[in-house]
Amino acid sequence: MIAASIARFRGPGFYRAALGFVLGIAFAAAITWVIRAATGHHTFPHYLKGEAILVVSLIASPLFFLVGLGGFDYWFAWAAGKPTQPEDHSSHGAHGWKDYFRINTDHKVIGIQYTVTSFFFLLVGGLLAMLMRIELAQPGAQFVDANTYNGLFSVHASLLIFLFIIPVFAGLANYVLPLMIGAPDMAFPRLNALSYWLLPIAGVMMLSSFLAPGGAFADGWTAYTPLSVDAPVGQDFFTLGVQFAGASSIMTALNFLVTIITMRAPGMSFFRMPLLVWANFATSLLVVIATPFVAASQFFILLDRALGFNFFNSGNGGDVLMYQHVFWFYSHPAVYIMMLPGFGIVSEVIAVKSRKPIFGYRMMAFSLLAIVMLGFTVWAHHMFTSGMAMWIRIPMAVTTAIIAIPTGIKIFSWLATLWRGVLHLDTPMLFALGFLTTFTLGGISGVMLAMVPFDIHVSATYFIVAHIHYVLFGGSLMTIFAGVYYWFPKMTGRMYDERLGKWHFWTTFVFFNLTFGPMHILGLQGMPRRVATYADQFATLNLIISIFSFALGLSTLIFIYNMVTSWRGGPRASANPWRAMTLEWQVSSPPPIFNFDRVPTVVGGPYEYGVPGAVHGMFAPPPLPATVGAGSGSGGGSSGGSGGSGTVGGGANPFGNE
Amino acid sequence: MEAASVTHAAGRAAHEGAPSGAQAGEHGEHHGPPPANRSSRVEPQLLGMLLFIISEVMVFGAFFTAYFFIRVAQGDPWPAVGTTLPVEVAGVNTLILVSSSFTLHWAEAAIKRGNHFGLKAGMVVTFLLGATFLFIQINEYANIGFAPQDTAQATIFYGLTGLHGAHVTIGLILLLIVCIRAFRGHYSPEEHKGVEIPGIYWHFVDIMWIVVYLTVYVI
Amino acid sequence: MNVHTPDSGSSDSRSGSRRSLIFAGVAAVISIAIGVVLSYVIHWFPVQASTQAKETDTLYHVLVIASIPIFVLVVTVILYSVWQFRMKPGEELKDGPPIHGNTRLEVLWTAIPAVILLGLVSYSFVVLNNNEKKPAGPEIQINVTGQQFEWSYEYPSSLTGGAPLKSTQLYVPMNESVYFNIKSVDVIHAFWVPAFRLQIDAVPGITTHWRATPDRLGSYPVVCNLLCGVGHSLMRSAIHVVPQARFRQWLALQANSAPGRQ
Ligand code: HEA
Ligand code: HEA
Ligand code: CUA
Ligand SMILES: [Cu+2]
Repeated sequence: MIAASIARFRGPGFYRAALGFVLGIAFAAAITWVIRAATGHHTFPHYLKGEAILVVSLIASPLFFLVGLGGFDYWFAWAAGKPTQPEDHSSHGAHGWKDYFRINTDHKVIGIQYTVTSFFFLLVGGLLAMLMRIELAQPGAQFVDANTYNGLFSVHASLLIFLFIIPVFAGLANYVLPLMIGAPDMAFPRLNALSYWLLPIAGVMMLSSFLAPGGAFADGWTAYTPLSVDAPVGQDFFTLGVQFAGASSIMTALNFLVTIITMRAPGMSFFRMPLLVWANFATSLLVVIATPFVAASQFFILLDRALGFNFFNSGNGGDVLMYQHVFWFYSHPAVYIMMLPGFGIVSEVIAVKSRKPIFGYRMMAFSLLAIVMLGFTVWAHHMFTSGMAMWIRIPMAVTTAIIAIPTGIKIFSWLATLWRGVLHLDTPMLFALGFLTTFTLGGISGVMLAMVPFDIHVSATYFIVAHIHYVLFGGSLMTIFAGVYYWFPKMTGRMYDERLGKWHFWTTFVFFNLTFGPMHILGLQGMPRRVATYADQFATLNLIISIFSFALGLSTLIFIYNMVTSWRGGPRASANPWRAMTLEWQVSSPPPIFNFDRVPTVVGGPYEYGVPGAVHGMFAPPPLPATVGAGSGSGGGSSGGSGGSGTVGGGANPFGNE
Repeated sequence: MEAASVTHAAGRAAHEGAPSGAQAGEHGEHHGPPPANRSSRVEPQLLGMLLFIISEVMVFGAFFTAYFFIRVAQGDPWPAVGTTLPVEVAGVNTLILVSSSFTLHWAEAAIKRGNHFGLKAGMVVTFLLGATFLFIQINEYANIGFAPQDTAQATIFYGLTGLHGAHVTIGLILLLIVCIRAFRGHYSPEEHKGVEIPGIYWHFVDIMWIVVYLTVYVI
Repeated sequence: MNVHTPDSGSSDSRSGSRRSLIFAGVAAVISIAIGVVLSYVIHWFPVQASTQAKETDTLYHVLVIASIPIFVLVVTVILYSVWQFRMKPGEELKDGPPIHGNTRLEVLWTAIPAVILLGLVSYSFVVLNNNEKKPAGPEIQINVTGQQFEWSYEYPSSLTGGAPLKSTQLYVPMNESVYFNIKSVDVIHAFWVPAFRLQIDAVPGITTHWRATPDRLGSYPVVCNLLCGVGHSLMRSAIHVVPQARFRQWLALQANSAPGRQ
């Protein structure tokens, strides 16, 4: 008995993780005590001991937790020079739901872990938005006090940005990207597992700030100094939560880049990669280069808060605006981190559902890279009214306007892809088309914001809130829905309910516009953002917005219901229900445990729909007459992975592209 | 670190004819994934380390941005009035750190020739030089006469040198691991990635120090 | 398996009939017209109370009018495609024509937006310049201080003729250019007068500025527009635009009634 329970705590898993968590707190208490005793803690009299312990344990206990969970076991053994097992694949694949709660190195399991976790945070973040809308339904304070309200939108935005949009894209790509390039897994599977496990940590940390004395962090997701430096302890949960989320995204980005560069199937040149792969390549570049800046910006705040440094203390020569420059140097590229993978998803969906090659494939790829580069040159458009040197506004406004050009190229190329296609208007396609409309609107309002005199009026008003949601909800989230429906058969082996899917789309699309459209007007008329109470003149519109926002929230429940019931009992999906050409559809649904029994060979572009006899990838050399799963529900999807059944079209000349 | 193993599948030519050799060979026992195709000549671990270094450079970039704003944009005196920086001591320290890059290089060259003793000696010396650097740096903090809480300039000074010190510490941990594994005889002329890749990190830490030294102490 | 034949557009509706294209074009033009009319009918802004507000509002209208055709174009193409090219029964296994691109089109849709954007940015800089340059004639200065959670104002000696006057009330003369020097004593605030369409942050450690020429009598809200803590939503004040004579009168009165202040 006792031996068994000791063994429980010795082996990796949640018992040891819980132990690690507790040890982390103990460690934090001990180390702060030692350091404060050694340095004479009167040096920082404003700094309570409890706060010191809290900050250190926010860093230490997650790490100890991960050690307990087994996230570092392999590396520890390796570091100590012990013999390490070459990958025995015991942690590959999931054989039951419990496997999703372990350290698992299979990119497909990790992809699902990522996706489900981040959707959980969408629900929580959305729920916080519902609470905000209750408060905003009427002017004056009714439901929550100002401090709580500030906490609500800060946590709302932080969760949705750092724990939903960014990781959900990483999750979907984790699942499909290795399949798409014909790789058996990511380049660094163990690093992949670790990046996933940092996420729930960051999320729980941010959420638990509501329990902190003084309330949740309440300076918005931007945490402008010096307000955030003097804020109550809740702020530390943001400052450190961002570090974990950021570390996770840097690690994933490294992994994607190395995977894409070194593990493509034979024949898959860069210009034969599906655009989703291109999009994640571009995004990962952004992450690797930009994310360190947000980490540093929060380090500065942490040092100022915890140790009384002077980065932002203008009384001692600190520079308040420096924070904004560093923060936006990350956070503007971050908005493209939150959009480019969506562009990738939409490219897949539109090509397949229009049964046509993507129009202007190369320009689609180049425009992604153009956005990456331009993205680093526009950060100060968030600072037009910040009091920075006036002249900076001019170049920044110009580059900001220019960025609409590559984005426009993408929009128009998608439109041209639709033209004369055979449009399958099912749920993924509806979301893709919805995305095209709402994102164009959000992009155009962005371009208006680049016009300095206009921005001077609407900066930090509800016009910005409208822009944010048109690009993030109408842009990113629409593509996410499209992607989730599109790959649902692949990921779960089941078909979703098409009727519910359509209901979900139409309710979302309509209520989305009714919720966020009127916000433009509110902003122009002078309603500031980040206020719990507002002037009476804005009452009517706000009430309308609140009512529609609840309907929008309810529409999400249709989606959740559809996903849960279809995953449990939907009809079996065939290997390739959409008759797509990219490699992930050439294996069974869900794919075999190691993706491919044999590495496929790529012989053509990924979107050669309508080209007679075109083939993208093949498993067996002679193109056999392929039995391509036509339509949904046709039999068990068990066979797809092997032999020559993977080719699409299967004509004579495999090189018949372009 | 790890990466999926290699085959040299013959690129785009493998579509025709008999089941292509490289893959058919491994067929039969299906205990693991088929070996991934290697689509680039770059070592995955090496590429990973280089990308990691890019993001490290960006972290330093953010701290240099802070430095730029306080020293250049605001035009505050540097160092803050009434304080001095020990340029000479730090200069000697720079030499110590830079020489560790050379000893590291010797260690790498040694193992490539199969000289295990050279590897061990080189690694230990490198480690000791790095540790000395860190020790002198901490000693400098103790005696420098100002604290980061005093002025923004002091904040940046401690920020940049401290950030670098943290990197030295990480580097030293990596070197220590290499030492342990070297003494256990893990490396060979064929397989010495485990020395080389942490080595790149150490070289990066050195080069970064030169930049920090020049901007903070010298200019 | 199905053999894909690229259709040449002759036999079926894949290319869209001429009639339907004309219909879509007309619908698009009508929508644009409706959009433009709507953009004039909708009451977008609070009242205009400064010369700057007029320039900014015109810029806004130009932006909206430039945006409507772009948006309508995108939506029209989508709706038209849905209408004409949706999969019809019997087409389940059909593919579209394998069009890979068209260089001329791609050049066009790079160049046209570029030109539009260039025009818009240039125009916005003209407006910016007009709004910010010092007008001919005299100009008064007023110092503004933000602090959690109220605004206070200082009328310098150049205005009062004696000691500077501090007040929590903001009076400005009609048709006279006012240059505001904005400071903060604690965290960042933003000094925003929606009726003037002007705002800038009040940043600790530096002084920021904006300049306005009020041209409409009345009282308008002054709003703190940057999250500055729990009291942010209540950090409001008012700006009173009064005739020049009344302004001088008010100043004198204040200076006398509060002699202790300096
Ligand atoms: C997914 C996220 C996302 C995306 C993609 C964008 C895209 C863009 N954004 Fe947005 N933005 C945010 C998320 C995003 N933004 C957020 C979260 C904030 C607020 C942060 C905060 O303060 O909390 C913000 C704030 C913000 C500001 C600061 C406003 C302020 O605070 O005062 C500005 C100003 O320039 C701006 C501009 C733009 C522009 C020009 C684009 C462009 O990339 C858009 C390009 C796209 C198009 C233009 C549409 C398609 C193009 C065509 C059909 C071609 C033809 C078009 C023309 C000729 C116009 N954004
Ligand atoms: C991807 C990002 C994203 C998404 C999806 C949303 C979604 C929503 N957002 Fe948010 N929002 C931001 C990003 C996002 N937002 C950002 C970055 C800010 C700026 C913050 C700042 O100023 O710092 C912001 C700010 C913001 C404001 C301005 C606050 C202020 O300035 O005072 C408002 C106000 O209405 C708002 C509303 C909403 C609403 C109604 C939704 C709706 O779409 C939500 C719909 C609801 C759901 C999707 C959940 C449905 C779930 C249920 C109904 C319950 C079931 C769940 C459980 C039981 C757990 N958001
Ligand atoms: Cu002061 Cu908001
Ligand atoms: Cu931006």
